[in-house]
Amino acid sequence: MMDFSLNEEQEMFRNYVRKCLNEAGQTMVAREFTCGNTSEFIKLQKKLAELGCTGITISEEYGGLGLGALDLVPVLEEFGRAVLPGAYLETMAFVVPLLEKYGTREQKETYLPEIAAGTRSFSIAWVEPNKSYDPDVIECQAVTKGSSLVINGVKTLVPDGNQVESLLLIVRTDEGGNGDGLSLVLIDVNEVTDMKTLSSMDETRNVTEITLENVEVPMARVIGEVNQGWNVLKEGLLYLHAATSSMLVGSMDHIVEMSSEYAKIREQFGQPIGRFQAIKHRIVDMKLDLETARSLSHYANWALDTNQQDKEAAIYSARTFATEANIRLASHNIQNHGGIGFTMEMDCHLFLKRARFYENYMGSISQFREDVSKGLGWSYEKPRFQLTSK
Amino acid sequence: MDFSFTKKEERFRLELRNWLEENLPTSWPKEEEAYISFLKNWQRTLAEGGWAGITWPEKYGGRNATLMQEIIYHQEMVRADAPPSINYVGIHMVGPTLMQIGTEEQKERFIKKLLTGEEIWCQGYSEPNAGSDLSAIKTSALKDGDRWLINGQKVWTSYGHIADRCFLLARTSQVPGKKHKGITVFLLDMNQPGVEVRPIVQLDGRQEFNEVYLTDAVCSDADIVGEVDKGWQVMISLMLHERAGIGAEVFTLEKQFNNLVAMTKEYKVDGKSLIEDANIRQKMADLYARSRGAILNYYRNLTNTLKNGQPGPESSIDKLLVSELTKEMLEFAVSIQGPHGILWKEDAPINSRWQEKYLYSYGTTIGGGTSEIQRNTIGERVLGLPKDLRA
Repeated sequence: MMDFSLNEEQEMFRNYVRKCLNEAGQTMVAREFTCGNTSEFIKLQKKLAELGCTGITISEEYGGLGLGALDLVPVLEEFGRAVLPGAYLETMAFVVPLLEKYGTREQKETYLPEIAAGTRSFSIAWVEPNKSYDPDVIECQAVTKGSSLVINGVKTLVPDGNQVESLLLIVRTDEGGNGDGLSLVLIDVNEVTDMKTLSSMDETRNVTEITLENVEVPMARVIGEVNQGWNVLKEGLLYLHAATSSMLVGSMDHIVEMSSEYAKIREQFGQPIGRFQAIKHRIVDMKLDLETARSLSHYANWALDTNQQDKEAAIYSARTFATEANIRLASHNIQNHGGIGFTMEMDCHLFLKRARFYENYMGSISQFREDVSKGLGWSYEKPRFQLTSK
Repeated sequence: MDFSFTKKEERFRLELRNWLEENLPTSWPKEEEAYISFLKNWQRTLAEGGWAGITWPEKYGGRNATLMQEIIYHQEMVRADAPPSINYVGIHMVGPTLMQIGTEEQKERFIKKLLTGEEIWCQGYSEPNAGSDLSAIKTSALKDGDRWLINGQKVWTSYGHIADRCFLLARTSQVPGKKHKGITVFLLDMNQPGVEVRPIVQLDGRQEFNEVYLTDAVCSDADIVGEVDKGWQVMISLMLHERAGIGAEVFTLEKQFNNLVAMTKEYKVDGKSLIEDANIRQKMADLYARSRGAILNYYRNLTNTLKNGQPGPESSIDKLLVSELTKEMLEFAVSIQGPHGILWKEDAPINSRWQEKYLYSYGTTIGGGTSEIQRNTIGERVLGLPKDLRA
């Protein structure tokens, strides 16, 4: 029976999260965070964990709620609305599904209950200085030494490396090509040799760079098979990008609300500016983008949960559309607000900078589009037949 | 969340699919007159098979179909490439409106004949100086004894040249400062001396719409829908019925996108399929995302309608999104045919339908309320933005 909507429990959970974020002052948490005051954020994190946000996708056996990607959607949308700092996305929508699927019993027991309790979160250490997301350019190396791995290298653009307890690190364990010879390793932040925070346009998320010099960790920290890390990572990315789309939708939702509300009260030429079609029609186009992104992201997460054939195309099309639309909306929002939109005082800039953070986050638009194309099986090598063209 | 159809719905689909397999015409005539009688025949075949006006009550020839069955109906018609409905205005707008507010006599006189295509209907709305500003109409209806005499000019009247009846808006009184008051809806007989129809040639060469000149055209009291001077409300309720038709457009968009994918795989330039070109592939992935988004939006609005019993204002988003996207998609389809894309008809590089559909698509963002009017509606009804200044 056709029903394309979130269910009652999911909407109810959204309300709890919204209430919690309202009490914390919504975007005030992000604003304080950008000024270096993280205490409000830490307090809020505890409350959200008590609410159950950090256990949604963790199985009940390890202290979670045992729910799916679609159940994360309302939470992610609410976090996106508040431009919330923190590595919730990386933890819940990347590391947790990988631990659940590929983790050893020991790994699960070590990490999952703490994640569920809100006392441990993860980030991703993937890209290296001046390099792309291409797996074959990864140089950070892990060499076997008895039952240990010795890791050397530099990882950059690690989101909130200084806010998390652990990292999922992608390292070279063998010679490669086509993604071969890579492994995923779970390390603790205090095992890292050096960490520095980089200056980033989006100050609601800290961007860090880590150095690993002869860091020795047990072999048991490898998640999935050795040298097969790229395939595992690609699977985790489906969860991550489906969830990212939802977070972007949340931001867009807030942006459309900001622009419409402002257009109703701001008066020029003796009337609210929302009466002028130049403004009104632009906000309508923003609303169209928002609803399209919402539909795409809801479907993407459903397709992921129910393992639909088109899940890859669904996830990456949601990701590309929501990413580009979010940048477009954040830009229009500034223009709709006029002079005040150009200031630090209004929230407009927070959404724009956040939009740019996610633009090239764990991949690029053009790569995502190729993923859509692959997911749809647009194999262009062998056309079914050739038309006679003049 | 669930995208499946119930067993009952799937049985309905199968029944329709089987019927279409047996009854779908195999060849479409090209010549204008033959094409029109072909479409009329198709309408009669549909009605006889019980596949016209399916949502209508049985006593009017329908089958009491549910909203979901109507969706399936649209899907299957698009899938089968069924001929368009020549009595679209009659079946999707006039029929439902008469059932809702028509007199018993009107229902008796008109409903059966419009279902079978025996009487084709058109809409007498726009005028040379009343387009988007519809309530500015000047066509007048004056009482003369027991009849009404109608004078004025209508324009963009689709099917006007073949229509037997017209759902006509005319001014019956002047209320200063309130243009939408004093309008009355008449059911006008097109086959009378006071009605002159002149075809207008569209930019794609087709002649689907017309100018209609009314010179002392005659209607009676029995031809009035609702009350005198209260036609605006009648017109609004008719527009709500029009919304149901959007389903067909969504599924047509989906089909056109799939056709476009096939075309980019099959059409080769210098020995290479178009889809091998990274720029084309990237744009195709973008169009995939947006067409999927439009379809999924439609399903989301549909869910709301199923839950609330009636469509919310959000459903006005569908028309705008689908028509604008269709236009952009067809523009791209012609553009990627390169220099040869300028050729059409018998010299078209692939199939002239791409060129024809492309040109035709410019009408879809104008007809049925321009995109600008849609944006006003969405801005005001969905987002609650201040109303436009209106004279």
